[in-house]
Amino acid sequence: MIFRAIFFSLLWTVSQVTAKSLTGSRLLVALEDADIKESYSKFFGDLESRGYTVDIQSPKNDKLSLFQHGERAYDHVIIFPPKAKAYGPALTPQKLVEFTSKDGNILLLTSPFGTPEQARELARELDIDLPPRDFLAVDHFNYDTVSASEKHDVILVQRPPPSKSAQNYFSGKEGDVIAFRGTGHTLGNRPLLFPVLPAARTAYTYDTKEDFAYAEEPWSAGTQMHYVTAVQLRNNARVVVSGSAEMFSNEFFDMEVQAPNGQATKTANQEFAKEITQWAFQESGVVKVIAVRHYLSNQTDAPINPNVYRVKNDITYEIELSEWATDKWIPFTVPPNDSLQLEYTMLDPYYRLPLLPSTITEDSTVYSTSFKAPDQHGIFAFRVNYKRPFVTYVDEKYTVTLRHFAHDEYTRSWDISAAWVWIAGIAVTIAGWVVFCMLWLYSAPTETSVKKTQ
Amino acid sequence: MSKSRPAASAGAASNSNNPLTILSALPARYLQTTPSRTKLIDAFLLFLIFTGAIQFLYCVLAGNYPFNAFLAGFTATVGQFVLTVSLRIQSNPENKSEFKAVSPERAFADYVFGSVLLHFFCINFIN
Repeated sequence: MIFRAIFFSLLWTVSQVTAKSLTGSRLLVALEDADIKESYSKFFGDLESRGYTVDIQSPKNDKLSLFQHGERAYDHVIIFPPKAKAYGPALTPQKLVEFTSKDGNILLLTSPFGTPEQARELARELDIDLPPRDFLAVDHFNYDTVSASEKHDVILVQRPPPSKSAQNYFSGKEGDVIAFRGTGHTLGNRPLLFPVLPAARTAYTYDTKEDFAYAEEPWSAGTQMHYVTAVQLRNNARVVVSGSAEMFSNEFFDMEVQAPNGQATKTANQEFAKEITQWAFQESGVVKVIAVRHYLSNQTDAPINPNVYRVKNDITYEIELSEWATDKWIPFTVPPNDSLQLEYTMLDPYYRLPLLPSTITEDSTVYSTSFKAPDQHGIFAFRVNYKRPFVTYVDEKYTVTLRHFAHDEYTRSWDISAAWVWIAGIAVTIAGWVVFCMLWLYSAPTETSVKKTQ
Repeated sequence: MSKSRPAASAGAASNSNNPLTILSALPARYLQTTPSRTKLIDAFLLFLIFTGAIQFLYCVLAGNYPFNAFLAGFTATVGQFVLTVSLRIQSNPENKSEFKAVSPERAFADYVFGSVLLHFFCINFIN
């Protein structure tokens, strides 16, 4: 129900603005140094061309506020690393968390030399551990030989390979390379964290202040380290944390890179920046439930969504799902190795059944399944609990009563030939009893005579 | 034969107290001394035992599906048996001292009421 309410509000905002994001077009860019703006012009140009009204403000600005009259003043925020040691009063972690709890989306960009404690606190709220100041990620096997042949700090990151069990919003083309200069971070066990760009096995983050030719004690290393991580909160607000702000700069968008043993290629940073902002700002991976229908399978004119079923009824359940693909609703497809499932639960699931696509319309897919209600009366719920990386959490629950057989709904005993003997048993007993009663009443005089003789 | 029952059950060592003699005398004595209404009850009880045995045997041989039908049929017979035995106890002239407040007419009325109730429930239950 809450989910549905969110979507109606989403649809309402969509009709208000022209942006491709479902939650709105007001984008705040917290950027302290106006000079830097020029070096990110392509990034901002991309966002403006997608319909965002980009409002670049210094976080030090006194009038800056994420909220106005208790509502969000912006729909999305991009936070650049500040020059100073803090963001200022408008972007405290508490205010940013409140912003996300009001469905605002955040893209948090950090850098090795400009990550304030506030950013670290916000990341900690999300169960992401950012390294201390001056910690830099390097990879001595996957670096750019053109721009960082000495320091190895421009890391060439492969896109995540297409997965059959998850949505692939960030897989890109094969051989795509993303140039990255920044820090890695580590993740906690929170299931809401979705790694976007994990580090290679040979990468590590170390303290640049240590004066060694090699790192004695890397802060984090290998695949436990991540460069870009996405978080989708329980209210479907999205936060993306990137260890590098530079990867979205013009310099990195246009960079020609060459791996130690590879060919020179152009970076895919611009496409990646587009994809990551599309996801973070609710342009992709947004799934909505259009309708939920359940009805009796073997009746042609069965009422839709009745409140009561009987045990052993044949029930069909359908759920219609749509996915927002940057500018239109398309049929939602479950990845091949994943399964959308229906649970028929009373405290525990009595059934957990795969929902299979039955009809595909222009903008939605109808997933359906049929089953026989269990032989157990009570209050049951149809529940679809589909929470997967990168897509809106779908949790639909409809409660119905499952009643037992009415007395006249059981098979009549005379319809079962095995029962005839016992029907005859009752009939004979009653007949015998009637005869007995009659004889008893007729034998009354004899009884009195017996009494008299005594 | 003409001796009273307490004497017969005393089991003294006389010839007439021989168990075999008692056994062989039992049917005749039953026919002679039992009131006709009690005999009628006994006949009905025998009939009920017979009916119940058939139903139970069928259940054992052919299976208990549908179980509610078996329960209804069998309990109708067994319940009728129990009620009839109660009637036998209450209407037996020898137990008159124990049921002073219950006349044979009253006993029979109770019996009819209980039986009709039993039949109603059994027919309802067999569905």
